[in-house]
Amino acid sequence: MGRVLRLYFPFTRASIQSSLMYSLNMIFFSLSELLYCFVMYYLWKAVFESSGGSDFMGFDMQDMVLYLFITNVTAYLTMSDADNTIADEIKDGSISMRLLKPVSFSMSVLFKDIAGPIVMFCMVFVPMTACVEIYRAVTVGAVMFNIVNFALYLVSAVMAYLISFFMNMCFGFLAFYTTNLWGMGMFKKIVLKFLSGAVIPLAFLPDLLRNILSFLPFASLSYIPVMIYMGKYSTSELVFNMCLQLAWVAVLALLSRLVWKSAIKKLSVQGG
Amino acid sequence: MKRLLKIYRMMLSQNIKALMEYRIDFIIGALSFMIDQAVGIGFIFIIFYQIPQLGGFTLDQIVFIYGFSLIPKGLDHMFTDNLWNVGYFIVQKGQFDKYLTRPISPLFHVIAEKFQIDAAGELIMGIVLVCISAGSAGVRFTWYNVLLFIVAVIFASMIYTAIKLGTAALAFRIKVSGQIIQVFYMTNEFAKYPAVIYGNVIKFIITYVVPFAFTGYYPCVYFMTGENPLFNIGGLVVISGLLTFIALIIWQTGLKAYESAGS
Repeated sequence: MGRVLRLYFPFTRASIQSSLMYSLNMIFFSLSELLYCFVMYYLWKAVFESSGGSDFMGFDMQDMVLYLFITNVTAYLTMSDADNTIADEIKDGSISMRLLKPVSFSMSVLFKDIAGPIVMFCMVFVPMTACVEIYRAVTVGAVMFNIVNFALYLVSAVMAYLISFFMNMCFGFLAFYTTNLWGMGMFKKIVLKFLSGAVIPLAFLPDLLRNILSFLPFASLSYIPVMIYMGKYSTSELVFNMCLQLAWVAVLALLSRLVWKSAIKKLSVQGG
Repeated sequence: MKRLLKIYRMMLSQNIKALMEYRIDFIIGALSFMIDQAVGIGFIFIIFYQIPQLGGFTLDQIVFIYGFSLIPKGLDHMFTDNLWNVGYFIVQKGQFDKYLTRPISPLFHVIAEKFQIDAAGELIMGIVLVCISAGSAGVRFTWYNVLLFIVAVIFASMIYTAIKLGTAALAFRIKVSGQIIQVFYMTNEFAKYPAVIYGNVIKFIITYVVPFAFTGYYPCVYFMTGENPLFNIGGLVVISGLLTFIALIIWQTGLKAYESAGS
């Protein structure tokens, strides 16, 4: 374990350093994402005012605010850029440099990729979650922060990140077959946003659709960790959902390995 | 003018050829934008399944506002998408010099260079939503309303373009302004829903500062109720004209201050 860290940590460090160069970009990026949260916040406020009741399909306004903002910050923790990394390296041929090194391909990509969530955790996640908790404490009049749920949430978020990483690995290997990934990337982003419950909480969807979606790996990306943070699960649901996440991590890790094995045979580098 | 149209046509046909090269990619892109909006509409339907009206508006009216707001957004997206690239990398990589050496206006060249077919997703979705909801939303079909609708769409599109133009032009001074365009552009999310649901501060900002409320809510209020055309449509024309004027000044002074990043 120590040896692995010593071997791969330089990938993470280099990537953190280069992303810190663009910290201003990151701040603007999270600012524009935050705007979307505020639009939704006001929309929900209007919904609760128009409905006259304090409950909307099992969510009250507190829950909705928490759902919106925690979903937003969870997206930063599970953000993986592995598909672009791989696609770019295939396109410009620098993938051969990575293959020549005496390191595992997926491990080196993983350790480079994980820099994003680490930087985002410190720069965006911590301050924003603190603001949300302060808002909650002020509106309710008591500290609502639950350390056990938060710890479980972090574990679940790490698994969500791994699922996102392996999914993107598979996706990035598509660049072996097609040269232009832009449209596909857009498609993936938009469809994932819906399937993971980031736009509409899965609990609001019709029963059949909800049941299907909650078993797919996409719910593990956002919906499950957020529900854990909010303490919406009973103990048995909690155990079940975290096991589900773990199972998806294993399945997708295996799948990305298979895709990698078949893709590497097709690799031909032009120049580089 | 005739010359410019001819040049535009030639560049457009080049663009279409390039699109054909990556046909599937662009179909998927357009489809994605359509799905994105369909999910947004699905969300509104789920909400209305539980409540009869939102902020005093019926489902049809909300759908009308949502659909209308997509039309100027799609038009701007289709024709001026290259402004994003000015902000993100054209200036930074020193590629802007190319536009300065041609015997046409650099702004015209930048805009004519890219035709973004993906925008068809938003445009089609917007037109469909407006068509299915207009009747029951209370829109009256008279010849001057049709005329005003076209005027409103054109000036609303100009608001989008002006905001992108003014913020993209900052790249002439600071090299990269893509994220600044993004922050201002994202404010358009507020345009999809009635402005009455937001607090007064936000309502003021989206009316007078980043006036996206004029790209959806205000003109729609006129079309649905016939109320206050002077502010709802007239205000749109004035604000949009003013904003375009300011954006052009920022662009022109930026051009003068521009120094090549070299390469």
